[in-house]
Amino acid sequence: MRDFAARLIAYEARAGNSSRTPAASGFPVIENLRPHLAVLMGITGFRALLSRALARAEAEVPWLRTVQVKADGSLAGFDEQAAQVDPEDAAEGGVALLAQLLELLATFIGENLTRRLMREIWPAVVLNDSTFEKSEKI
Amino acid sequence: MIKPNAAARRSRPGKAERRPAKVAIRQIPSGVRGLDDILGGGIPEFSFNIIAGPPGSGKTTLAHQIAFANATAAKPVLFFTVLGEPAIKMLRYQQQYTFFDQSKLGKAIRFTNLADVVLDQDLNSVFEEIIKQVAAFKPAIVMVDSFRTVVRKAMSSESETAMQAFIQRLALYLTSWEATTFLVGEYGPDDMRDNPIFTVADGLFWLSQHVERNSVVRKMQILKVRGQDSVPGLHTVRITGSGLHAFSRTLGLERKKVHPARRRRLSMGIPELDKMMGGGVLEGDSLLIAGPSGTGKTALATQFIAAGLRSGEPAIMAIFEERPKGYADRADSFGLKLKKPLQQGKLEILYLRPLDLSVDETMQEILDAVDRVGAKRLVIDSLVSLEMALAPGFREDFRESLYRLIVALTGAGVTILSTVEVEDTFTGLSFSHYMISFLTDDVIRMRYVEIDGQLRKVMVVIKMRGGNHSKDIREYVITDKGVVVIHPRTTDYTGLITGIPTRTGPRQAQEDETPPEPKLKK
Repeated sequence: MRDFAARLIAYEARAGNSSRTPAASGFPVIENLRPHLAVLMGITGFRALLSRALARAEAEVPWLRTVQVKADGSLAGFDEQAAQVDPEDAAEGGVALLAQLLELLATFIGENLTRRLMREIWPAVVLNDSTFEKSEKI
Repeated sequence: MIKPNAAARRSRPGKAERRPAKVAIRQIPSGVRGLDDILGGGIPEFSFNIIAGPPGSGKTTLAHQIAFANATAAKPVLFFTVLGEPAIKMLRYQQQYTFFDQSKLGKAIRFTNLADVVLDQDLNSVFEEIIKQVAAFKPAIVMVDSFRTVVRKAMSSESETAMQAFIQRLALYLTSWEATTFLVGEYGPDDMRDNPIFTVADGLFWLSQHVERNSVVRKMQILKVRGQDSVPGLHTVRITGSGLHAFSRTLGLERKKVHPARRRRLSMGIPELDKMMGGGVLEGDSLLIAGPSGTGKTALATQFIAAGLRSGEPAIMAIFEERPKGYADRADSFGLKLKKPLQQGKLEILYLRPLDLSVDETMQEILDAVDRVGAKRLVIDSLVSLEMALAPGFREDFRESLYRLIVALTGAGVTILSTVEVEDTFTGLSFSHYMISFLTDDVIRMRYVEIDGQLRKVMVVIKMRGGNHSKDIREYVITDKGVVVIHPRTTDYTGLITGIPTRTGPRQAQEDETPPEPKLKK
């Protein structure tokens, strides 16, 4: 799941959807996920899931401890904290948080449905049919 | 997928009978086996329906089953989740069912969470959000689960009139948008009084769970379905890995009737018994074999099946006590080879033992098997163990259910042999404690009698609706050849049916039997 999270972040960075540095592009990916998942599970549901993902990611990346999930499901303090740490650590924070969020989603609704959801949101990001790996055919 | 209403099909006017053209209400399938028959053909298109019942009764599963049965990219389903089961958990659990087709998610089925709107805003906003989503997605089916939570939240802040107006507008709007709607809610019988939603609804699916001693049985009632004839009453529902399966309380009665011009006499596999029955049992009859334990009811039933198989008549044996292999092995030891027809699919031995079965489920299993092998003969061995396999709540309806089973199958030309265990008394001759002998066309009674210091067996044909039969009481033995050998009638005794006869003739000299009557090869 970490590889897939890293690919998504790289894709968003390449797409130039934000002025952020590639290292901190974990934030726009999660921002992009938010409305889609909120349609499915409501803002409250998304917030609960992201909070849990953040708690799990904090164990891997300590600087995430200062990041908070706001009432609308957005992240508070992500950009600010990412700017204060080493770029590699900043990138690691984004990957860890996104990977944990996707991991949680897959735990609850299964990898197939999670993959289907990701395809809907990022149709250009190529996914293998049975794993989160990049398809070898393309 | 959509079919014309059965009532509309029936009412096509002839040349002489011209009626004003009336609207044909099309029906959509429920996706639930047995439910379309209960509904009178299916769910009326564009209807506004309630799926109600207590928690755990299968409401959400029913809603999903309907959704997945009908959802296509051209006619999608919009599924609103509110404050009930969180969508993430619902998807987690519902995907365990075989009907859950992941490829339909997204374009054919869209899940949308309304919880935030319901929690933070008023009824108008809820209505506007639904309308916005419906206008954008253009669904053929709309589901709201749970609608009860919308109402509960609204009732805390809105007037009853506002609530009524909201439901009215919602029903009107969704119907105008050509959507068939299902509102799912945890309603109880008390909620129906003065509740506008039940007045507005075109269809009302009521699910419930009935506890009887240690067993729980799910039921469904179609309280109303506008524009078509549904089957009234409580219908059993079973939830398995493939979702809900409904069993109509009139299951089987709708089966095609077969009325052969001349019914054949079928051999019982015992030539002397055939003679006693005037040539055999009439095709399509229901025959009851009553007798105490060990009198050879199962042996006789197996011979009946084997005789049919020899004549090319496929058969079903529904058994409840012994496993199929044991049955086949025992038949083998009688010289009745059942294993080959079993392998060839000409015979099926149904082992129906789980407790908590409903009669309807048992019936469905038997009816399916009869259709599967094209059975002409059926054995139910025995009615006592069939009753034991049922949930306690169904035992009260046993006679009624048995009636349906017999009528359904004999009507379709299947000849049924049922065995029933009765306790021998030494004052009379009872046929069955179920009082079911009136349901059967023919009755054969087997019993023990004490003669010359031996416990022997006699049989007598009690009744045959289709004709005359022997009135003789005949002694029989079961040999290791598996054949019930019937001795010539004896007139040396009276009072045989009491079990303790009186000798009227001279005492016959006889040798001791060593070994005792052989019965079964080990």
